[in-house]
Amino acid sequence: MDMNEIKEIFFQECEEQLAELESGLLRLNDGDRDPETVNAVFRAVHSIKGGAGAFGLDDLVSFAHVFETTLDCVRSNKLAPSQDVLKVMLKSADVLADLTNVARDGGSFDQARSTQLIRELEALAKGEAPPAAPAGEPAAPKAAAAKSAPVAAAAPAEPAANEHGFMPVAFSFDDFGGDDVEAVSELPAYEIAFKPKSDLYTKGNEATLLLRDLSRLGEMSIHCNMDSLPPLDQMEPETAYFSWKISLKTDKGEDAVRQVFEFAEWDCDLDVIAVDAGESVDDAESDQAMQPVPFDLSALDDEPDAPLGVIEEEEQAAAAQERDATVAAAQMASNVVQMAGNAARAGAGDKAAAAAAQNTAQQAAAAPTIRVDLDRVDRLINLVGELVINQAMLSQSVIENDSNGVSSINMGLEELQQLTREIQDSVMAIRAQPVKPVFQRMARTVREIADITGKSVRLVTEGENTEVDKTVIDKLAEPLTHMIRNAVDHGLETPEKRLAAGKSAEGTVKLTAKHRSGRIVIELSDDGAGINREKVRQKAIDNDLIAADANLSDEEIDNMIFHAGFSTADKVSDLSGRGVGMDVVKRSIQALGGRINISSKPGHGSVFTMSLPLTLAVLDGMVVTVAGQTLVVPLTAIVETLQPDAAAIHSFGATQRLISIRNSFCPLVDVGRILNFRATQANPVEGVALLVESEGGGQRALMVDAIQGQRQVVIKSLEANYTHVPGIAAATILGDGRVALILDVDAVVSASRGQSLHLEASLAAAG
Amino acid sequence: MASKKAAQKSLSLAPILDLNEASALHGKLMGLRGSGLVIDASAVERVGALCVQVLMAGAKSWEEDNQSFTFAKVSDAFTKTTQLIGVNIDHLMAKEI
Repeated sequence: MDMNEIKEIFFQECEEQLAELESGLLRLNDGDRDPETVNAVFRAVHSIKGGAGAFGLDDLVSFAHVFETTLDCVRSNKLAPSQDVLKVMLKSADVLADLTNVARDGGSFDQARSTQLIRELEALAKGEAPPAAPAGEPAAPKAAAAKSAPVAAAAPAEPAANEHGFMPVAFSFDDFGGDDVEAVSELPAYEIAFKPKSDLYTKGNEATLLLRDLSRLGEMSIHCNMDSLPPLDQMEPETAYFSWKISLKTDKGEDAVRQVFEFAEWDCDLDVIAVDAGESVDDAESDQAMQPVPFDLSALDDEPDAPLGVIEEEEQAAAAQERDATVAAAQMASNVVQMAGNAARAGAGDKAAAAAAQNTAQQAAAAPTIRVDLDRVDRLINLVGELVINQAMLSQSVIENDSNGVSSINMGLEELQQLTREIQDSVMAIRAQPVKPVFQRMARTVREIADITGKSVRLVTEGENTEVDKTVIDKLAEPLTHMIRNAVDHGLETPEKRLAAGKSAEGTVKLTAKHRSGRIVIELSDDGAGINREKVRQKAIDNDLIAADANLSDEEIDNMIFHAGFSTADKVSDLSGRGVGMDVVKRSIQALGGRINISSKPGHGSVFTMSLPLTLAVLDGMVVTVAGQTLVVPLTAIVETLQPDAAAIHSFGATQRLISIRNSFCPLVDVGRILNFRATQANPVEGVALLVESEGGGQRALMVDAIQGQRQVVIKSLEANYTHVPGIAAATILGDGRVALILDVDAVVSASRGQSLHLEASLAAAG
Repeated sequence: MASKKAAQKSLSLAPILDLNEASALHGKLMGLRGSGLVIDASAVERVGALCVQVLMAGAKSWEEDNQSFTFAKVSDAFTKTTQLIGVNIDHLMAKEI
């Protein structure tokens, strides 16, 4: 492994640490006062500093160092984590992320911002209020102090008070050099002498397990004393000969150390001595070769004191559970699996870990993981996709040649089909990731925009552990950023206006994610003024988007903001207002196979709802025939299927037809007609109706000629391979090798409301 | 120095080296005295302090006998446990010639 690879790993770890840092700070911001949260935040910055030091990334080291010093004050309760303090810290986390990016990708960073934050952090560490003025003014005295520093250092004579009675104070730049890492990061240290008696072993205790539990408390060095070990022929195999001297640096306290030995204390000689923070434990033990214990003890994690099989069984059971599930369920199950795994580890008698068990976030982080190049996973997914198609083709040709369906080949094929399905689900689960990183990025966007606009904004996130395919996550960030900007810039009012409207000065932007019927639904809501419909309508008339006398519903007016070149902002700001926002957002979401809706309540705010597929690779669909063409209707959209009865069909207006289902009427939509597969509407009684529910909530009965069956299909993007076709979401390859189009149910439902699909030309070309 | 004349014997360690295995391991080692020994610890999944004691006592005795006592292959669990409890086996690891 060369240096660059190691560096790359460092940067990957930095990303994790930065995420940890930010989520920790946000938890603190929400009032979490758990010391473990502060520790986690401190550790994140400390780890980044440590790694950066090893690679000589000086800018990063100096900033991390100052940040860490201030965090240390919070950790030691010298500085209360008030909202003001956390604001500075969150900004510092942003700068730390910028510095990390610059260190990795090159480029430049905002030196002034970093200097200003260093100043604010230092002020906090000294117990002063952070200097509020941005640049300039407050910098002067500090620069003067800095200048005087080398002088003071060079002349270590008694500092003399000047005529004003001020004493020069030595100001060492070494503080920024990272050389005194230990002084800052010094954790309480303990010297432990542990000598097991033979009884310890005969009673079923095991020194290695006690030492392992001990090592988990912090940084540990160990020396094994083998002096009393006799040669083989003189030894008693079940007698204890080894004894240990251990140095442990931990912030968990002496009680936690003693607790490790709780059940063995009568069977061993144990001494635990707290060592002064200033005194290095290693120095005290320098006469004995202390061996640092490696941090990664993952190989020992199969708790031997729990029956080995238990964990395996749980994992197998969990895996089986995963296999049975659909893609969506599999992804949810993977959370459960992880939690079950964690619970198994926590429950396996690890007393020291029991305290940490409260912190679920930390537990998730502790789950063993490996890093895999994304290309490899993608290649695997592609291959599995091909496998599924191939398997379908094989099945089809066997079925065609084996009409009675009882041959052993047929049974074997069924098993193959199940296996293929399992493989596919498992591969998809590899790509599934929580939306948390994207949500965290949004927190930063909100902070920055709030700063620029002078508004006070609180971002509330929910469901950030909802998992979705990595491709979806990657493409989600941009539209979300646009929308968040819009929400803060346009949605929320200024604090004055809010107060005047009887709201709190601080606006709230809420971002939630959840799984709903095989899709991920992301909602962005604000408690701002809501959409000014009159203004939107006027703007639409001005831009010739609608006629001046057009009769539009509230929903239709709200949706006008998704039109290209539409912006109601009176002035174009740096953030938004150029009118390139929402139509781009809508296109990005549509490109992902998703939909976006808006609902707004004047005076109470707006809610944007995006619904996206969990994966862009596979789909459970119902294969249907429409006018001689084979189409696939996503199963998630179908509520029920029914054979229309002539008596249930009612005409409505000139062309509309309704179907009566259990005493309610539902519009009947001929898919063949709406897609222009045929010129006139087909006779409903000869076809099958699929009752579908669109994301907008409306129900429609889609009429098709016949149902062929239900199967999982591999999605092939039409956009990537051909071009977007209205009314069609994507395509797939069927078992017989033919291409079938996948119906975009929502587009068809919208079209049935009178909005045309404009697809004659595209479909003619596609056909 | 290790004697190169005597044929080397080998010993594969059991996957679980706990309290129950300590006496058995002791017995096995006693029976192998007198010639160089190559130990295969690649199957070890769990090893307790008592068995490490026995192995280290063995190393001591073999050294006194002027015979080689080496670990040819070790599992990750074995290495990590010895590191954890501060027992250095680096000098006992078989070196490529």
